[in-house]
This record gives sequence, C-alpha cells and structure tokens, in this order.
Amino acid sequence: MPTLTEKNIKNWLLELIKPDEFNEKDPKASGVLFEAIVPQSKIREVAKGYLEQHYFLESLTAVDFAECLEIVYHFNQWGPAQRSCVKILVPKETNTAPSIASIYKSANWFEREVYDMFGAIFTDHPNLKRILLPESSDIFPLLKSFKGEPKGADVAQSLKLIQEDADGFTTQYKDTVILQDKKNSKDYYLNLGPQHPSTHGVLRVLLHLDGERVIDGQPIIGYSHRHHEKMMEIQNYVGCWPNMGRLDYVGAMSYNFGYAVLVEKAMGIQPPPRVEAIRVLTTELNRIASHLLWIGTFLLDLGAFTPFFYCFDDREKILDILEMATGERLTYDYFRFGGLDKDIPPEMVPAIKEFIPRFKARLRDYDALITKNIIFRKRTEGLGIISKESALAYGVTGPSLRASGVAFDLRRNEPYSIYPELDFNIPTRAEGDVFARYWIRTKEMEESLKIVSQIIDKIPAGEVTLGKLPKNVPKGEYYSAVEAARGSFGIYLVSDGSLNPYRIKLRTPSFSNLNAIGDMLPGCLVSDVVAVLGSIDIVLPEIDR
Amino acid sequence: MEVNPILSVDKDPNYLNTQSSVPGLANLFRVEDVLNLARANSLWPLTFGLACCAIELMAGGAARFDMDRFGFGVFRPSPRQADLMIVAGTISRKMVPCIKTLYDQMPSPKYVIALGGCATAGGPFKYPGQYGILEGIDKIIPVNVYVPGCPPRPEALIAGILELKKQILSGKTQGVMSPASVRDSQDSRPAEYKNAVSRAEFRKPVAAPPAAAPSTTPAPPTAPTPEKTS
Amino acid sequence: MPSTFVIQEILKIILWGTIVVLFISVNALFLVWMERKVSARIQLRRGPLHVGPHGLLQTIADAVKLISKELVFPKEVDKFGYWLAPVLVFAPILSAFLIMPLGKNWIIRDLNVGFLFVFSLTNISFIGIFIAGWSSNNKYALLGSMRAVAQNISYEIPLLLSTMGVVMAAGTLQTSGLVAAQKGSWFIMTQPLAFLIFLCASLAEANRAPFDIPEAESELVAGFHTEYSGMRFALFFLGEYTAIFVSSAISATLFLGGWRGPLLPGLAWFLIKVYALVFVIMWIRWTFPRLRSDQLMGFAWKILIPFAILNVFVTACMIQFQHFFK
Repeated sequence: MPTLTEKNIKNWLLELIKPDEFNEKDPKASGVLFEAIVPQSKIREVAKGYLEQHYFLESLTAVDFAECLEIVYHFNQWGPAQRSCVKILVPKETNTAPSIASIYKSANWFEREVYDMFGAIFTDHPNLKRILLPESSDIFPLLKSFKGEPKGADVAQSLKLIQEDADGFTTQYKDTVILQDKKNSKDYYLNLGPQHPSTHGVLRVLLHLDGERVIDGQPIIGYSHRHHEKMMEIQNYVGCWPNMGRLDYVGAMSYNFGYAVLVEKAMGIQPPPRVEAIRVLTTELNRIASHLLWIGTFLLDLGAFTPFFYCFDDREKILDILEMATGERLTYDYFRFGGLDKDIPPEMVPAIKEFIPRFKARLRDYDALITKNIIFRKRTEGLGIISKESALAYGVTGPSLRASGVAFDLRRNEPYSIYPELDFNIPTRAEGDVFARYWIRTKEMEESLKIVSQIIDKIPAGEVTLGKLPKNVPKGEYYSAVEAARGSFGIYLVSDGSLNPYRIKLRTPSFSNLNAIGDMLPGCLVSDVVAVLGSIDIVLPEIDR
Repeated sequence: MEVNPILSVDKDPNYLNTQSSVPGLANLFRVEDVLNLARANSLWPLTFGLACCAIELMAGGAARFDMDRFGFGVFRPSPRQADLMIVAGTISRKMVPCIKTLYDQMPSPKYVIALGGCATAGGPFKYPGQYGILEGIDKIIPVNVYVPGCPPRPEALIAGILELKKQILSGKTQGVMSPASVRDSQDSRPAEYKNAVSRAEFRKPVAAPPAAAPSTTPAPPTAPTPEKTS
Repeated sequence: MPSTFVIQEILKIILWGTIVVLFISVNALFLVWMERKVSARIQLRRGPLHVGPHGLLQTIADAVKLISKELVFPKEVDKFGYWLAPVLVFAPILSAFLIMPLGKNWIIRDLNVGFLFVFSLTNISFIGIFIAGWSSNNKYALLGSMRAVAQNISYEIPLLLSTMGVVMAAGTLQTSGLVAAQKGSWFIMTQPLAFLIFLCASLAEANRAPFDIPEAESELVAGFHTEYSGMRFALFFLGEYTAIFVSSAISATLFLGGWRGPLLPGLAWFLIKVYALVFVIMWIRWTFPRLRSDQLMGFAWKILIPFAILNVFVTACMIQFQHFFK
C-alpha cells in the first residue's frame, strides 16, 4: 500500500481513498492531471494528504446541477504543472458538506463564498457568514434557480441597507464583533475603510487594537462585488471580454491572456505566431505599468508623496504605447480567441524602443531614491513576514510568494504562449517581508523589460486573426492559469456545449493573498498595517468579482 | 404613497443652495457672487475611488494632467474637509450606506460628480436582473455633473470639473436625482437565464466532434486507430 | 488719567498687534501658495496656475471658501473642547513675533528670557491638539492626538538642548544679544550639530513630514483634525504654516545670524534667510517617507538627545578651556 512518502498523490488517492470515480485527463486541454470524485466523508482525509504532500488549495468552488451541487477542489504544487481536481457531491436535500477550513486556511474564505453564492452549508466552519453580499441578503445568486431581481430592487435594497446602517455600522457582524467596548478595558475596535486614503479601493479591515498595537485584524470584503460570474453565464463567450478587462483593471492584459488561453485550449486552436508575440509584448508592458502603479501607491501609504508622480509619469508613457494598439488606457479587452482585436500600428515599435532606455534610467533613479532610502528600509524590513508554511496554507501566489523564497511562476512552471522560448529570470528573495516584496517587484520590472527588448525586434509578420470560429466551446471542464502581475490568475470553465458558459469561476490571486493578512497583522502598529496591506498588492474588484 | 426621505433629498429646502433667492433690500447677490467665485476656484475633492475610474481619477491628479492647476488638487481624506465627492466606480449595494454617510458628513455647499458609466447608470454591470449594484449614484444622492466613459479619460474628468465650475459660478448647483423609473429602457431586453443541467446528462461522454474551426492544428480527427486507444 | 507711558504702551500693542496679525495672514497665504508650487515642481508638475497670475490668488480662494462653509458641529462632540481647540492651537504661536529681532533695535519686546518664552507658550498648542483629538469623539482623531502628545514631549528636549550650546556661546538668552554675538561668524559654523538637531526637532514640533504622524494622511484619515471643517480647519492650517515660519525664524536668529548681512536692510536679510529655511523644510517634506511612531520616539530619545548632550558638553569644555588660550 503506497504511503504519502512515495510522493505520488494519484496512487495514494486510488489505493487509500478509493474515490467513487476517477478519470485521467489531458492536461493540455483541461488543465488538470486527473479528476477524482470522493465521498463527502473522505474529503478531509484527502485534504490532509494533499497538505502533507505540499500541495496548495488553488481554488474551491461549486457548480450547480439539477440533482446536486458539485463542489470542486483544485490542488496544485509549487513545481511543474501538477494540478489535480477533487470533487464531492452535495445533494440538494441536505445541502451540507464538511469544511476543510481547519486543514487549509485558504478554504475559510472559499467556503464562505460558496455559501454566499450557492447556499451550501459547510459543517464545522469557524465563521460561516456571507462574504461578498451584504449580511442581510437572502438570495443565493449563482444557483441556476435564481433568475435575477426585478427592476427597482437596487434602490429598495439600498434603502434597506441604509436603514440597517443607521442602526449601527457594526450590526452587520453581530456575532463576531463586540458592539460596545468593554468598560475599563484598553482595547477597542477601529475600522480601516471602506473609504480610506490608502488607495486600495474599498477594503475594510476591522482592527482590534490595544493602544496602537494590533491584536487582530479581519479584512471584510464585498464592497465592490460586481457579479462577474453570474453575468458571464448569461452572455456568450465573446460578450465576456469586457469582464476580463475590468477584473484587475491595472494589469488587464494578463486577464485577457488567461481567458484567451483557456478558450483556445478548450477549442484546440493555436493562434498565429505574430499574435503570440504581440500578446506577450503587451502583457509584459502592462505588467511593468501595474508594478509602477503599485510602487507609487505603496510609497504614498508610507508617506512619500513624490514617487507617486514619477511612477505615474512612467506609466503614462506605457499607457500611450498600449493605447496605440488597443485604443484604451486601462480596461483592455484587446485579445480575441485565436487572435487580437486589431493589429499594432507601425509607430508602436519605435515608441517602445524609445521607452526602453528611458525606463532603464528611471529604474536607477528609483533604486537610488527609494531602495536605498534609510527611512523606507526601516519602515519595511522585518515586517509582515509570510513564511513558506503560511504561503502554502493560504495559497499565496505571485511576487508575494516569490519574496518568501519560492520560485513559482506560471510562465516557467506551466508555460503558455511563447514564454518557453524567452530568456528571463524569476527573482526570489528569502526573507518574505515587506521590503522583499517591494524588491521582487522592482526586479520583475527589469525582467519584463528584458522580455520586451527580446521580442521587439523579432515580431513575426502575418495575420492577427484566425477568421471565423465556432461560437461555442466544446462540452467539458477546463482550467487554465496564467501569471498575472499579482499572482496566478486561474479560470475554471464548465461548458455544456451551448453558446453561454455554464459556470465560470475566476480564481483571482488577490483573494488568496489578502486572506494571508490574518497571520501578518497581530503585533503590528497601525502604521505597519497600512504598509503590510500595501505590500501584498491587492486590487479590490478582482477580490470581490 | 409615502416616499422615503432619502429619495427626495434634492427637494429638501434645508439643503443649502447657493443660488441666491433673497429679494429686496437684503439682496446678498454680490456677496454670493464673490463666494461662488471662491468656491468654484477651490474645490477640494474627497479621496473616494471605488473601482477602475479611481485610477483615472488618480491619473488626473498626477503630473501629466495635474488637476491642481485649476485649484482642484487638494485631495482631503476626511469628508468634513472636502466639498466635492467624485464617485468614481461601480456602486455595489453593500457600499451604499457608506456613500450616504460620507455624503451626509460633508458640510454644505457640496457637489457630486458621477464619474464613469457605472456611477451614472450602472455601466457595463447593468444587465437584466442584476443583483449586486446600484444603477447610478443619482438614485440616492443628487448629482451635479455626469462624466460618461468606461473609464473616462482624465481630460474628460477635468472637463467635467470645469463644467461644475461653470455651474457654481452661475449659482445653479442644485444636484439632480433620477428616480428609478427613468432610463430603464435598456432593461426591457429579455433575460437569458438558463435552467440547471442534469449532471448525469452532462457527464455522458461526448461523440467525436465535427470538423472544427479553421485552425493550424493537424488533420481533423478521424476514427481512432485500434493501437492508439488507451 | 493714565500716564503717557501706559498710553504709549497701549498704542504700541495695538499697532504691533495689527501689523503682526496682518503679516501672519499674508504670510500664511504666501506659504500655502509656496508649498503648492514647490511640491508641484518637485513632483514634475506646475501647481496652481489659473487662479490669478501664477496661481497667487489660489490661497485667497481657498480661504474665502473655507469661511463660507457650513459650520458643522458633529453630534456627541464635547462642545467646549471642540470650539476651544483650534484657538489654543493657533494663538500661542503669535507670541513668537514678540521677541523676533527684525533689525538693529527693531524688536517689539526684548524679553530677557528670549525664545524660551516662545517655546513655553507653544506647548499650549499641543494641549490644543490633544483637546481637538479628544473632543472630536472619533477614534482616528484620538490616535492622532495621542501621537502628537508623545511626539511633542519627546522632541521638546532635544529642541531646547540644542539651543543651549548657542546660549552658552553667546552668554545671553535675549534674542538681540544672540544676534549681536554672531557678528564675527554665524553659529551654524561653530555649532553645526546643534543646527541639525534643532532643525529635526523643530520639524517634529511643527508636525511636518517626515515627522507628521499625528496627521498621517494615509493611516489616520486626517489625524487629529478629522472632524474639523470650514473655518476651524482653516485655523489649524494657519497654525501649522505659522509654526513653520516661526521655527524657521528662530533658526535664522539662532544660527544664521538673524538680520545680519551686507548691503540690504536687516529686515530683507531676515526674510531671505527665513524663507530659504522654509524652502528647505518643504523640500524635506516632499522627499522622504514618514517615520513610524516608535521609530520617531526612538530617534528622539536614542539619537537626538545624546548628541545634543554631547554638543552641550563639548561647547562647555571649549568655553572653559578658551580661557587657557588667552
């Protein structure tokens, strides 16, 4: 009987767990090595096994079928593509499933979201409350039986929420938050947000403070929920492109990339080489713009007002370049299935060639003014450390993971497009603190610039479109992930062969990264909270979808 | 039918309106002109970005577009010190009480700019039966200027603020509220919600796909040769 | 019938009081404009341009707008404290103008305790900040005012210690005497360490970046003046810019030779030196990030105070031993 030390999760599953159903899958098309359907009673054992084998929980979601709810777990490893899919079935009558939140910390939020959207109850979950919708909501929107709200419901619910708020802002969290500060106790609750000058969008962090020291901090999300997943179910595949541009609007090209790669894998089509080159070129430029914006706003949080303007100045140059190709400054939907919306204009390549040396000089300026600034170093070193265990438990990906010493980058580990042919490094740093995360992002900008310099002279000529394609994706389940500026962006698509996706789950990196805050906040000062929150680089609309 | 007082905030006579309507001897017309001139040239926005449009708001304040040239550059984080609320981004329903509280906390005279399609009328997130957003901020607070776009360029934002400046100089700063019945004609398209599919049906193996899209993949699938089946 | 001396004094008070208040208003308007322009240029942009030539009337527009705002009294604030705090923050700083030497024999009142008078009165403005935070009934404001109190207490000591070297070298606390003692060389050249410590400490006393944690915008919304609007907020602003001016003025008097200088009248030199220092203070603000509150206190207690004591010791030794060389 193989034990876990044999490091073969598939054999362990087959022999020990004996799943109800086991299917090998083609990783090129579906993104997973195999799919195992286990009985509900065994899912905790499965999760423990995966955790011991150093797999992280990449995504946990549900799909609504007529007879039952299917809860889908995707596990992956920090190495070459090893994704596997485990499922349990939740019959509609009982509507309960065991919670794995005690095993994988990331499951806490994933399961809350499944409860919020589908109504499935997870037994033994420490805090099964709604996460995206308001607490007083009574709908489960992602169920197929939910056919939408009537006209005027938005104003009605808004007025109701305003009235609830007038009864006390904290009534939304009656059981978890103590409403009255205890008399004669030194600790108190402070809300950071949802409107807060640290420009992260509408995040609310409920801090439990003792003087200025944080005892506990709980992020509360949902203030930017824009129902992408439900919306995409009633649109056809092409109609979903604008959604992809508005999830993470700062680094939207990667999200375009993820969607394009997903559907192209599913349909089995290969875009022309010119398209691949232009896709990588625009994505890497967008990655630089995203990191620049992050540096500007991060330093604004720390109190340095000037780098914001310099970073935005550089970013405007990149936006000018990308605007030549796409026509948009921010929320790109430039990619199409098998191609691009339109070809790049001839003036774009000289503009990029002019940009590269200018930006190299600016990077040296940033290094001198920021990286070597003693106040900045003292504010950021040794703070907000994410250990490798923590990163595994929370499913942290992206620069935050690489700053903890793990060289996991989907461009290398699960290559797509022309990344295997390009020469670039994956910077890592061992400390895992705020400064490491900053340093990694500056190095990543250099690496992206390297990639851009490699491609710029060698863009193949040719077509940028594959012509007319079928409007539907073949029936099946597909998972594909790309490396966005913030981490690994994955999409899980369940297609029933019709013109609309049956279920799309967007696995956004900031959702898992923000979850990891819970470990980092206790013991910080209020100033540190702002620095730590800034360092993990979140964009709220991609968390709240 | 009793109307919720929040929905008629623009008709409340107690809201300070800077349009002078005092006739006769106590005509403060000229003082109001001077005050309006000062107010128009010194608008302090509240740092309040909700989603994508917030980035364009930040870009509007950054070095290239520089709203500070016109006097609009002092972003105040506290609503008590701001007089302009630029609602930039989609308004999710969970956020509505916060917006209303912030608006109430601002001292008069105060102005509202709805930046972007989402704050104007729901934007790209308005689809039949939507359950999460408020379609336009003018459903609960009065709006002075609408700046359309998705997202609008910073130049459009500056044009919007200059339009507001014109409004303030003329004294007509009563914001507009739009009740739910107006502008809902887009919602008349039918909602294409589908029913749940049976799982058993779904998991039945698919027949060999027909000759698919023109692509660069090798030859269309033929009947599998016996040796190759696994 | 009061004597002529009393009448003279009363007239003098009224005259100088009016001049000082006018000067402060114009100065604050100018300094706010200067800050916006300096910050804009450092940040690659232009700053106010359209409101008056080069945006000079921008601050007047801001001030008039603030005056015309609705006076809000938030529910559940401590009314008396809320009303009193801005006054307490702003008023004591005016006392600095009493002892500032603007030229030879151009001084309102040459007190024999000199600038100690100013430092003791400006501590009242920190009580004002504390009252502002406390009475606002707002946790952010309270956090901001706690930080302000801790900061003030910590930085008061190096502020005074660094001036002790100058006082010992000049032998007097009177400001006119201090300027007279700089006839040969300015104290910045003989006491450079004291100048640096004084600059850091006065930045901290004025709540300017990198020591601006009480009103740390990105952390505490607006710190201790979160709940203030309109004219009350304007008073806080006015107080802050007047404090910058006052600390630059005292630095100029103590270290840069006051009104001394060739060719131009004393008043002109004084203003040049003060505004140069104000420019440096603004430059520092827009270059560095903010210190954390514990790092700030650590900086004061572990670095500034020991060095200030060292400075006093070395100055005392040199004064003592110079008799051996005579």
